[in-house]
This record gives sequence, structure tokens and C-alpha cells, in this order.
Amino acid sequence: MLGYVLRRIAIMIPTLIVISIITFIIIQLPPGDFLSSYAASLRAQGEVIDEAEIRVMRERYGLNQPIYVQYGKWIKGIVTRGDWGQSMSLQRPVKDLIWQRMTLSMVLSVVSLLVGWFIAIPLGVYSATHQYSPLDYIVTFISFMGIGTPSFLLGLVVMFVAMNYMGLNVGGLFSDQFILAPWSWAKVVDLLKHLWIPVSILAFNGTAGGLRTTRANLLDELNKPYVETAYAKGLTERRVIWKYPVRVALNPFFSTVGWELANLISGATLLSIVLNLQTEGPMLLNALTAQDMYLAGSFLFLLSVMTVVGTLLSDILLAWVDPRIRMT
Amino acid sequence: MESKRKFTRREFLKISAFTAAGALAACTPPAPTASPEAPTAAPAVPASATPPPAAAGPAYQEPPMLADLVEQGKLPPVLERLPENPWVAPVFESNGKSGGIVRRAFTGPGDKWGMSKICDRALVWFDNDLVMQPRMCESWEVNDDGTEWTFHLRKGTKWSDGVEHTSKDVLWWYEHEATNETLFPGLTEGRWFTGTGETKKMMEVTAPDDYTFTFKYAEPKPLLIYTMGRQGVAAPAHYMKQWIPDTADDPDKLAAAVTAAGFESWDKYYIDNRRFWFWNPDLPHFGGWIAKNDLNEEKWVIERNPYFFGVDSDGMQLPYLDGMHSRLFSDGQVFNLWLTNGEIDFQARRVQVGDYTLLKENEASGDYKVVVCPAARHMVVVLNQASKNEQLRSFFMNRDVRIALSLALNRKGINELNYLGLGTPRQYSPLTMSPQYHEKLSNAYIEYNPRKANEMLDAAGYAAKDADGFRKYSDAEDAETIFFVMEGQFGAGTPDEDAGQQIVKMFKAVGVKCEYKFVETTLYNQHYTSNDMDAAFWFADRTVVPLGAEGLIFRGIASDRPFVDAYNKFFDDPENPIAIEPPQDHYIRKIRDLWEQVLVTGNPDKQNELFAQMLDIWAEELPMIGVVGELPALTVVKNGLKNFGPSPNDDTTGDEYVLNPETLFWENPAEHMG
Repeated sequence: MLGYVLRRIAIMIPTLIVISIITFIIIQLPPGDFLSSYAASLRAQGEVIDEAEIRVMRERYGLNQPIYVQYGKWIKGIVTRGDWGQSMSLQRPVKDLIWQRMTLSMVLSVVSLLVGWFIAIPLGVYSATHQYSPLDYIVTFISFMGIGTPSFLLGLVVMFVAMNYMGLNVGGLFSDQFILAPWSWAKVVDLLKHLWIPVSILAFNGTAGGLRTTRANLLDELNKPYVETAYAKGLTERRVIWKYPVRVALNPFFSTVGWELANLISGATLLSIVLNLQTEGPMLLNALTAQDMYLAGSFLFLLSVMTVVGTLLSDILLAWVDPRIRMT
Repeated sequence: MESKRKFTRREFLKISAFTAAGALAACTPPAPTASPEAPTAAPAVPASATPPPAAAGPAYQEPPMLADLVEQGKLPPVLERLPENPWVAPVFESNGKSGGIVRRAFTGPGDKWGMSKICDRALVWFDNDLVMQPRMCESWEVNDDGTEWTFHLRKGTKWSDGVEHTSKDVLWWYEHEATNETLFPGLTEGRWFTGTGETKKMMEVTAPDDYTFTFKYAEPKPLLIYTMGRQGVAAPAHYMKQWIPDTADDPDKLAAAVTAAGFESWDKYYIDNRRFWFWNPDLPHFGGWIAKNDLNEEKWVIERNPYFFGVDSDGMQLPYLDGMHSRLFSDGQVFNLWLTNGEIDFQARRVQVGDYTLLKENEASGDYKVVVCPAARHMVVVLNQASKNEQLRSFFMNRDVRIALSLALNRKGINELNYLGLGTPRQYSPLTMSPQYHEKLSNAYIEYNPRKANEMLDAAGYAAKDADGFRKYSDAEDAETIFFVMEGQFGAGTPDEDAGQQIVKMFKAVGVKCEYKFVETTLYNQHYTSNDMDAAFWFADRTVVPLGAEGLIFRGIASDRPFVDAYNKFFDDPENPIAIEPPQDHYIRKIRDLWEQVLVTGNPDKQNELFAQMLDIWAEELPMIGVVGELPALTVVKNGLKNFGPSPNDDTTGDEYVLNPETLFWENPAEHMG
């Protein structure tokens, strides 16, 4: 097992190097650079910017250098100093910017993930064990709705209802007066008052998928001989279901948990934009549209690292949960 | 829909007359009273035009928020904080009460310009008649040919950290920042030099005493004053010197600070970060409010500057408002929810004209008013008369063609259908209230007359049509059908995109085949940069004081409206790969000649006269085809917020802040303490 993990880690290094190069190239692919989109956005707002000024700025940022030089500078900073570069549009070190929004992003993602699972697993098990019962139909219907409704649309609807019929203050995770306030009990309460909207929307969407997976997998397992054997040995219904087939049916959760790691950061970008949640997602999107290459590049790189690490984690988890899987 | 209230320059004048009178009367500081705390500190009528004896000192009042600090000994008394002869701000309605905050919203650091326009204060500003007046400076003089500008500072003006501002700050800025080759290689900032290429020469700055300084240019610089409104000409030497290795007491400390902030070198840190108050909240400046936190946070807060150099005519130190907040939003729908819910107190920036109905419907429940301000924005059809495509070029260069296409437009229909009737059918021209208003140009060929348009196109030699009924370049058998693409950055679903489609229909109705195409910004830029653009449907602004904006668009210098861009490029550099030499009798030559004359005239009346001649040419030639103009900027103003009224809205005049935001006040400040 240890040898397997070490081997996997060794493979990760070249993978990440390749990813970093590809990331950098992709960011440079669209025509223009940060300054051309900066100038364009200024002009669209009716401001003036001189061509000469742009030329000087381009030189200062080193945007006129060949792409491999720019890449070298970026990677050197990361490897030697842990310096991810400077965001051109936000005028702050990339590292600080990413950390600044990390907590809220994680809270949102973890809470919605857990709420989603908490609902999906019991309902999925119920649906499978009571296949074609009225409740199964209802659950199935709702879960298809969940899969079919885009989160941003739901976000808009919920926001409208919350504001117009419930008189709540919406948009963002805090009320106006708590945004800059230091953490306190009142602020936590305020956060919870706002958090339920995105969490329930994300959970509604997330639950649907998990529920369908659990149901389908469990249905496959329920007819297998080992279940019959367990019943034959006189175990209670509850014990049979939860101890054996459910555990097997949950494998997909563990094998996809690795992807959730990247989702902690970039998950629910669209919903965040619509609901005005200041999480990492909208910042990533802005960085990409502004062609703020160090910020965008570092984001994409970080996401890739998370995915690679997450995949490893989920492989290990899977082996631990399911003794039938052998690592060699 | 309620009828639209339009403001002509005359009416605007009338409104401002009252305020101006107040301001004039207040030019002398109020007479002294025994105690600065006395509630009756300000006299009802200023006694005379002569200043009161200096020994007694004028009486000024200060906002409660600051009075407390003075009492605690944390702040010097108001008299010591103000200049000897403070700026007396004109007010739109009346003098007001101090206190309270205003809530706004912004889309992030890229959208810092709203607050920037509220806080950037420099030597002069427009009065309500859009004429430049002293603001931070006491007065200025310019010699006849506009080569020498002398400014007199108000004695005792303080930076926001309380240090006195003198002409030494101007000299320091000139020596260490403006002429610093590391910071500004090759003179990029146009305001500070004259000439181009070989003749390019930096101005010289001298300061005979602490409160006077002179800018001396090698050649005339007559429009300089218009660039002195927001951008300063001084750096707080006592603070900024630590950020330049040559002047820093401890260069090692500077190097460490640069690295810690994540910058590669001191010059990048200085130029991109340290010299802007919004990136560097520690930077002393002159604005009414100073930044309290980092603008990368979810709420950006500015708070009153206790050393602000202005007062109202009663001697109350401005600004009235304690502060402003800007809350971050990423999606327009959230912004609209905040607006309609009354959570935004004062904002025009980012409010969309298309949301007029929505905003009006919720006026009562949100407890606000939508003030319709005339804005500089015009929608224009740009025909590239210097196109690479020779056939198309000669088609567009034909004056009758441009006039015919102008007559083919049903502007009233477009205005009603796409702009809720809020715009005005007119050519691209200075606003009605502008000092450069030009009636003939505004109304040139704006009537809807497709029959005449057809006749003119027939007479212009484009009578032959193809099988589909579209005009061809000539009547030759194998002549191609005329076709061009109007590019625009307005995406599907926007009223502007819809207007673009309407225009296409109207052009097609007179037999001219074209299409509107949405192109993404970067591509749009690429197309005009390489002169690969046939035509564009875009906006054009800078019409409030176009002279002050150097007539950029009227001269075709703003290349994103490329009606003669390749010609202008020819004059700048004939070797430029996209440059095309214009014909000898082309109107752009006359426009350029007139502008050359403007540039050597120090006399504002003569400048206006020459500019009017440029607009005469516009009225004859129609270089761009205006569709609707004076498109309003909707300003959402919470009920109870005073001293704001319909005022022209343009970047060059500070958007919705042309009427000094320092004078905004709440009727009941206690209800708006945040």
C-alpha cells in the first residue's frame, strides 16, 4: 500500500508540470492580453486610456516577452519562493487573494456536500428498497427536477421569492452591516440566515444525482445471492440492508470524493455569481475574462493539483472502504 | 409613460443661477463670532466683499463626528484644519446637515472609478454652467498663447493626514515622479509635454513661493485646464519619498516592502499601487473622503477627510456625509434587487437604461426616485470611410450616401421601441446644455425620409440592383452587390443589439444590404486596429464639454469608432501599415487644420468658435451617423438625499458627481448612520 502511494505521488510530479504548461498556454490562447482587455473595459465605461501608456504598461508587466519567458518567471516564483505572482487587475499577490475567499468557499461547499449526502443516501436507500412505491415515484420525480433545473435559475427564483414574499435581504452571505464586522455570534447567525439559500439550492441539485446513484447501485446489489444468504441467516431487514449492500452501493461516493476537492474552490461558480456570493468561483471567472494571467493560471493550477491529489485520496479511501479492491 | 423632462442649457443655467448667487455671496469667509461652537456662527448675509481682519479669524463649524475628536484632543480645531480661504462649494438646492452615510454598489476593483470620481480632487472644477472654476486652487492665470499656466494655492490647504500642502509638493512631484525616466519612460502622459517625436518636450515647473507654481510649455497648451479637474499635479512629498530609492531614508526598508507586497521592483510598486489612494489607503490626498479599507473586500468604505479644504456658505466644513459604502456585486440582477429594495442610496453607475420601468415601478416601495439625467451617450453608425475595401470605401466616402443612409433611419421608432422613448433623435453632437452646443449638427438630416434616401442613392450612381433588390456598386453586369457588416459589442437580448437589427432593416429597405454582427471585445479591437472593420454600431460620448475632452471622437482619434482611422494614421505616420492617404479635398484635413488652430489659442471664446467651425463641417459631411442621443443616465436617489438634480453625465465631467458630491446631505442624518 505504501509503495503504491509513493509511486502515485511520483507520477503526480510530471503530471503537474504538464498541466501547468497546458494551463499557461490555454490562458494565452485568446487574442490580446490583460492590457488589451483592460483598455477595452475602460473604453466601454467611457474612460480614456492612451496607446502610449498601454505600451509602457505592457513593457512593465513583461507582457511583450515570449510566452516561455513569462512561464519561466511564474514557475520560478512558485517553486523557489512560493510566490504565485501578482494579480494585474486586483493589484494584490495572488496567494493573498485566493486565501481571502477560501474560508467562505469551503464552508459553502462542505455544508452543501454534507447536506446533500445526508438527504441523498437515506432517500436513495428507501427508494431502492421500496421500488415503485408511491413515495419512490415522488422522490424520483423530485430528483429529476433537481437534475433538470439549473442552479442559477433556481437561485434567481429563490432570491425573488425570499425578497418579495419573505422580506429577506438577499445577495451575498451577510447583511450589509455584518460584512466588515469581526466574527461574532451575531455574525454567525447572520451567515446562517443567508447560507440556507445557496446550500438548499446546491443540495437540491447535488442530492438528485446522489440519490439516483444510490438507488441504482443498491437495486443491483439487492438481488445478489449474498443478500439472500444474509436474510436466510435470519438477520433483521435493517441490518442486512445497511451492513452489506448499502456499503457496496456507496462506492461511487468515495470514488468521486476526489473531484469534490476541486469543487471546494470552483464549485457553484454560476450560482455564486447569481447570488452574489463572494467565493472563489466568481473571482476565477473574472480573472479569466480579464485575462489576468497569473491569477487565472494559479487558480487553474491549484484546481488541477486538487483534482490530482483528490483522485489519489479517493483511490485510497475506496481501498479502505471496500476490501475487495486491491492496490498493486 | 410620463413625459420626459428635458433640460436645456438655459434651464440648467436658471437652476444654477440661484446656487451660483449663493456661492458668490459666500466668497468671503463668514464673519467671526466669539465661539466656533456657537450655533449662530454664520451670519445670514455676508457683510462685505473685503475679508474680515485676519487676527480675529473666521468662524467655521464642523460635523459632530469631528467635533468629538477635537474635544478628545485627537484632531486640531477646524480653523487649523481648513485653508485660510477655503473653497466655498456651490450647492444645488441648499446648505445642509452633516452626518449619515450613503450606500452604493460596485463590481469590484475594476469598477473603482465611481469612488475615484467622488474622491479625486484637484485644482479646478466645472461650475453648474460647465465652465471651469477654481476648486482646490485659489485662482489661475494663463498667458495669451497658452504656454504658461500659473496656479495659486489656497494657503493652509492640508493633505488628508494633516500636513500642509505647498508648491514644494508640486516640485517634488515634478522632479521625482513626472520626470522620472524609470517611472515614465519616454514621456507618456500627454498633459505634461508638447510636440511629437523630435519636438516632444517636457514642461518646466517653477515655484516662486510656497503657494504659487507655474507650468511652462515649449508650445501652446491651451486646453490644459480641462485635465486639472480630477488628476493632481502634486505628490505628498513627506509620504511619497519613502517609495523611491533615491529619496527614501532607508532604501533597504523600501526593498523589503516592495518584496512583501509581491512586486518585482520599486517602480512597479510606485506606479501601479503606491500613488493611487484606492490601492493605497495610506496615501494622503485631498478628497472629501478617505479609504478605510482595502477595495478587494466585499464592502469598500470611505470616511470623511477631516482636513477637506471646502466649506458651505455658512462656514460648515464639507463634506456633509460622514462616509460612503460600496458593496460588491457580480450580477446585475442582484444589483437591481438592491436598488428596488431601497438598499442603494445614490448611484447612476451600472444602472441600466433598459431597467427604467422596473426601477420606476418600485419607486414607492423602495423609497427612492429615479432621476433622469441627460448623458453624453449617443448611439452611432460608424461607416469606415477609410476602409481597406476600395469599393466600399468610395461608397462610404460619397457624402450623398451618408446623408441618404441617415434619412433612411426612423429614429423616432428606434427611440420608442428600443430606448423606451428616453433618448432624443439627433446626430452625434454636443448636448443641448453644453457650452459647445451646435443646433445645426444636432438636427442635420435626422428626418425619416426613405423616399428621398432612395432618390439620393439612385442619383449617387448606385441605382442598379441585384436579383434580390439590393443595390450594386455600379450598373455593370458583373458588379458586386454592396454589402457590409456593422460590428458591435452589444450581445443578443440587449436593447442596443435590437436597435442594430432595426437599423439593418431600415438600410435594407432602401436597398443597401448589411448585417449587424455581435463581436466580442477583443475581436472588435483587433478588427479596428488592423482596419478590417467595414462599419460599426457603437456608442459615442464625450459630448458634455467636448472641447475639454479634446474633441477626440469628433476628430476621429478614438480609433474604436473608425470612420477615418486609417487617414488619421497616415498623418501620424505614413509608414504605418494600415495608413491610407486621404484625398486632397477630404473633410478630415479641414478638421485637422481647425484643431491645430485650437491648439495654439489660449482664448476660450476663440477655441469655442474654432470648434464650432469643426462642427459646421460635421453638419455638412456627417462623418458618423447618429441615431439617438442624450440617452439618459438613470440616477437612483433615495428619498431624503438632497442637493442632487438632473445634471449632465459624462466621464469627462465626473459622471453623476458633476454637482460636487461633498454637498450631498440627508434631511434626517440620524436615519442613515449605516
